[in-house]
Amino acid sequence: MAAGAAPIPAPDGAAAEQRGVLVRRFPAQDLFSVLGEEVRSAAGADMGRIVDVLADETGRPRAAVIDFGGFLGVGTRKIAVAWRALCFGGTQKHGIVLPDLTPDQLKSAPEYEASGKPVAVITPSPLIESGSDPCPGP
Amino acid sequence: MHALDWLNFFIANFQTGFGPFVSVYLTSVGWTQGEIGLALSVGTLAAVIGQLPAGALVDAVRRKRRAAAAALVAIIVSALLVAAWPILLPIFVAEALHAFASGVLNPAVAAISLLLVEHSRFGERLGRNARYAAIGNAIGAGLMGACGYYLSGRAVFILTALLGAAALAALAAIRHEELGPAARPAARRPDRRQCRPPPWRALRDPRLFILCACAALFQLANAAILPLAAGFVTKRAGGEAPLLIAAGIIGPQLVTALLAPRAGWAAERWGRRPILILGFGALPLRALLLAGFANPYLVMVFQLLDGIDAAAFGVLLPLIVADITRESGHYTLSLGVAGLFVGLGATLSTAIAGFIADRLGGAAAFLTLAGIGATATALVWIMMPETRPLPGRVVARAFKRPD
Repeated sequence: MAAGAAPIPAPDGAAAEQRGVLVRRFPAQDLFSVLGEEVRSAAGADMGRIVDVLADETGRPRAAVIDFGGFLGVGTRKIAVAWRALCFGGTQKHGIVLPDLTPDQLKSAPEYEASGKPVAVITPSPLIESGSDPCPGP
Repeated sequence: MHALDWLNFFIANFQTGFGPFVSVYLTSVGWTQGEIGLALSVGTLAAVIGQLPAGALVDAVRRKRRAAAAALVAIIVSALLVAAWPILLPIFVAEALHAFASGVLNPAVAAISLLLVEHSRFGERLGRNARYAAIGNAIGAGLMGACGYYLSGRAVFILTALLGAAALAALAAIRHEELGPAARPAARRPDRRQCRPPPWRALRDPRLFILCACAALFQLANAAILPLAAGFVTKRAGGEAPLLIAAGIIGPQLVTALLAPRAGWAAERWGRRPILILGFGALPLRALLLAGFANPYLVMVFQLLDGIDAAAFGVLLPLIVADITRESGHYTLSLGVAGLFVGLGATLSTAIAGFIADRLGGAAAFLTLAGIGATATALVWIMMPETRPLPGRVVARAFKRPD
């Protein structure tokens, strides 16, 4: 993620500020949609698509629900993975990557259900041990 | 190959795209799970509610080929809508349109088939229909799977529209003279229309309701098995799972392609009941085996049994309805009634199986489905009368037909 990139000042910023809002423009590669995006492993294996984002009470995203496996939509499983385990665009064209998980680790994870039950979130062990950011820098 | 074979082939071919794949595609264009669920519910609801009016519509239309053509055009339009405009309203419209058009298309094709052959050879004809539909399903699943994997979700629906156009061409190739008045079973001929009994008489036939109850129970047991089994394969097989599931979808279709013509032939020779009992019986057996063994390779081998029940169900349901309505007419209206029950069974199936799998585990869900399937088989055995017309009567009626 381009953490240091300054927002481009909006040409119509002055007009917007009169109404009490500030319009900031970001380069397209800095902000992007995550819903429906494909997720890959470090080796490039298909890890499914992000279908939902789970946030905690502070509003911070804590987990991404990915729809994994199946053929033509038959036999997919929804699995929640820790938000911190995802890397966004750090490795150029790869898009969203789960560097510390493989399809085989994901397959038998408990399924996510949006029915008021406790949510099982998959966290790869390297992330628990080091606690550091698994994503390579830009 | 006859044009009707191609028609069945292409229809099955393009119907593969609509189905669970719609949710994969809508996910990929950023739809939320709630919106997708709503869109699929619109489709399911339209499919269930639409069966009866769709059947009545085909019944009322004199030119069944035109009804089929209109339905095909509607399905092509809905595929293009899905591909071009994946936002809420167009998708809802497309789902409803597709569901209703399918409700028209299936009875229309059955009616066209009945116009093409004598009643005594209708079983064989339906066997061929089911064979080419199964081949179409198998090839469709392969094509759409490859299309979705290598190209995009949108490409799948463009391919669907193209295959719909191919189905239209096949329909056009069924020549009008072949559907003409010569040597046709009398029930649906225009000259008999005026003396046709009112529709409620056809709908009051108790055999129709026994058949509907059997068919609903069958689907209640059947519809959830594949998604449930495929979910377990994903859980246990990981990276190989998509290929295994593809095999589990395509394999049974090949079995159906092999068996369906035989089922049609046997139903003409030995009667409807034994074939129906045999086919229905394969369903609880499959569910029992799936409850007992969890190995993902074995699961896909057991799924081959689906080919047996699908062949029997696909051939015998339209055949028995044709037997029942032979005197009264109103064939496609009665097919619509059966379709309504089949749709209700299939819709409830996934809900019930999902609920049980959630609380008691997969084996319990498969055991429940096996129990329901066994009940369906027992119901056929005990309640369903033989409906095959006696050969003597066919000859007698043929000579009596006024010209």
